[in-house]
Amino acid sequence: MHSNGFFLSDVAGFLGGYYTFLAVMNGIAAVILWRQQQRAGWAMVWATFAGAMMILASLALSGSASMVPVLPAAVRGLVNQLSGPVLYTLGTTAFLVLLFVFRKFFVQPMVAWTVFNLSLLLLGLSMADENFAAIVMKPDNVPIVGLVYLLAFFTWVATKQAVVNDERIKQGLPVMEKVNDEKVLVWPDLVYTELICMVAVSAFLLVWAIFLPAPLEEPASSVKTPNPSKAPWYFLGLQEMLVYFDPWYAGVVLPSLVVFGLMAMPYLDFNKSGNGYYSIEERKFSYLVWQFGFFELWITLIILGTFLRGPNWNFFGPFEYWTPYKVEVLNNVDLPQMFWVQWLNQPLPRAPQDAGLLVQIGYILLREAPGLMVMGAYLVLLPPLLAITVFRGFYAKMGFIRYMVMANLMLLMLTLPLKMILRWTLNLKYIISIPEFSLNF
Amino acid sequence: MADKKKMSVAEILAAARADGKAAAPGEAAGQSPPEATPPKSPEPAAQAPTASPAAPKPGSAGRPSVKDILAMARAKGTAAEPAAEAPAKPKPAAKASAAKTTGTPKPVADVAGPKKNVQRDTASILAAARSGARPGPVSKAAAPALAKPAAKKAAAKPPARSVPPRPARPAAAKPAKSTATEERRSILSYAVGSFMAVGFTALSVTGGLFSLGLARYFFPNVLAEPPSRFKVGSKEGFPAGKVETKYVAQYGVWVVNSDFEGMQQIYALKTVCTHLGCTPNWLEAEQKFKCPCHGSGFYKDGINFEGPAPRPLERYAIRIADDGQLEVDKSKSFQEELGQWNDPESFVTA
Repeated sequence: MHSNGFFLSDVAGFLGGYYTFLAVMNGIAAVILWRQQQRAGWAMVWATFAGAMMILASLALSGSASMVPVLPAAVRGLVNQLSGPVLYTLGTTAFLVLLFVFRKFFVQPMVAWTVFNLSLLLLGLSMADENFAAIVMKPDNVPIVGLVYLLAFFTWVATKQAVVNDERIKQGLPVMEKVNDEKVLVWPDLVYTELICMVAVSAFLLVWAIFLPAPLEEPASSVKTPNPSKAPWYFLGLQEMLVYFDPWYAGVVLPSLVVFGLMAMPYLDFNKSGNGYYSIEERKFSYLVWQFGFFELWITLIILGTFLRGPNWNFFGPFEYWTPYKVEVLNNVDLPQMFWVQWLNQPLPRAPQDAGLLVQIGYILLREAPGLMVMGAYLVLLPPLLAITVFRGFYAKMGFIRYMVMANLMLLMLTLPLKMILRWTLNLKYIISIPEFSLNF
Repeated sequence: MADKKKMSVAEILAAARADGKAAAPGEAAGQSPPEATPPKSPEPAAQAPTASPAAPKPGSAGRPSVKDILAMARAKGTAAEPAAEAPAKPKPAAKASAAKTTGTPKPVADVAGPKKNVQRDTASILAAARSGARPGPVSKAAAPALAKPAAKKAAAKPPARSVPPRPARPAAAKPAKSTATEERRSILSYAVGSFMAVGFTALSVTGGLFSLGLARYFFPNVLAEPPSRFKVGSKEGFPAGKVETKYVAQYGVWVVNSDFEGMQQIYALKTVCTHLGCTPNWLEAEQKFKCPCHGSGFYKDGINFEGPAPRPLERYAIRIADDGQLEVDKSKSFQEELGQWNDPESFVTA
């Protein structure tokens, strides 16, 4: 809400250490690059950067409110104003698409190092903001910050290998995995490495647990729900899904479908290439479907749920104060309401007061007819339609059953983003809404 | 070690044949652990006749190959069976016998061919095959003597692969001699038997008492739960438009005086979100109930209007008790989507 001196003096020590760490890290990078003969230019760049970080560190360590480096208030305000679920989703999608399209550029080590450093610098400048720090430095959320970087790193490594392999395949050379046999002996090489890692990680966790203890809350009560109430971080994607669906679908069907789909994958995949080595070009469809499901429908939702969902599960900008009184207009209506009341201008079909069960069900089906037809068309008509148009080749290669399983899994996966878009654009709550039998979709 | 590993069974067999080691039978037999049991099944014996005309291959200068020897040993008597059937160690020669036991048909087919020179070395072969086995028809004393020729040949022509020394016979394999232990055991078993009886009796008694105690636990003397029927005061305590939140912490109920479908009513709303069961908060400034878990929102009358909640909040039964106070009954609830809010039990006219 408002930055004050107390907060800044608290965070100054941490930020000083943080910038010093950045400086040391880049100093080491500069030395390593200097020793490689051709990289002297880059070495100079990182040495300069390390110097700048040292200056920032000393400014932060001064501890005075006017000296600690922080993003300008105007920038923070603008970011808060612009951010919302729609922009967040579109932005992350655009960002991921950008990374994918220009992957040959981003896999260069120096480019990646630049992006990494700039993101760390941005994180440091943001952390001098009280509201941002309150969320990011919360003991529960620190590992998620780490997770984001870890995930980015491993994805980068894999993409780099895939890009190199794709280039080699194009030139008719064998893939890197065939050239560099990275096999080691299990005993002693692998086991010793694992042992050392185990000891190091245990020590690290021990230190972490001492210096960043897990927060304890008051005893649980069935009539008191913390606000905001958040699932464990790995379920925050699920919690975000639940905003758009009834529990039976987002909490039971979709997660089961994720597991089922992962199990079905080897049976659906007819592309033999890419076996045992990284490649994007040779299996573009599988790669894109996987990355979409993993990054767009899981990871970005976890980040959204962790950092940007505040009290009452409202969306908050990264520098916004988490007030439980934020008013957000989320008025949404069901499709039958929309269809009968708003478009046809007549009341919802409703069974007479003392009608029998069958008559009631008949009226419910009439009321839900538009939603049922939409879903029927989506799940019944679309797969064959796709089979004769977009997925013609797939259908020919996979056969009826495999194709239908794949098409339905994909369509069900896409219900999530489609429902999100419908919620944002049309304020649509449920396509089929039968609260009488707890059946909503 | 590594290059040896890469030899296939066929190669090993070929090598064994070409060398024509007489040591092989001894080796194969010697490898069999002393625990090897006497012939278990009649099946190999039944197989034996097919193997009986076994003879060394013409190319091997009259010396029988491993398979041939084993086959002959089988044909001659069941006592030799253990040698062939014993679990083999991963030595090449032993592998040959392992290949046989695992049922590769090829060696048998080889053996079955018409061959001569059958009787040449049988005695020594047999003795060698038997020497490592449990004392069968051949007595222990006689076995070493019989095995001698084989051993001599092994010494004369050492095999290319190293042969580990035959493992010493473990003491456990020897038959127990003293009967004193038997007697002691029997005395002990009486004692243990009675101990067991005492122990199990004690266990079942304890278990029974524990179950009774557990059953008692389900009927506590004092029930800390608030009653499901409770009085909330007279109607005057609930002016129009008010949402009373003071009963949430204890009873999980909002008592509301509000307009519903043109009627001024007092009703009791259940504080459970119809989406996933969190407890929403009443936001006075915005005049709505808002759930912290997924952002569902409800109007003052309990109708859902935002977020994922699929149906309105539920009402509890409410009535005016005999003393004029309002009484909420949590044992009954009323759902709007089922048309139950028209039930006169679900509200009190303000």
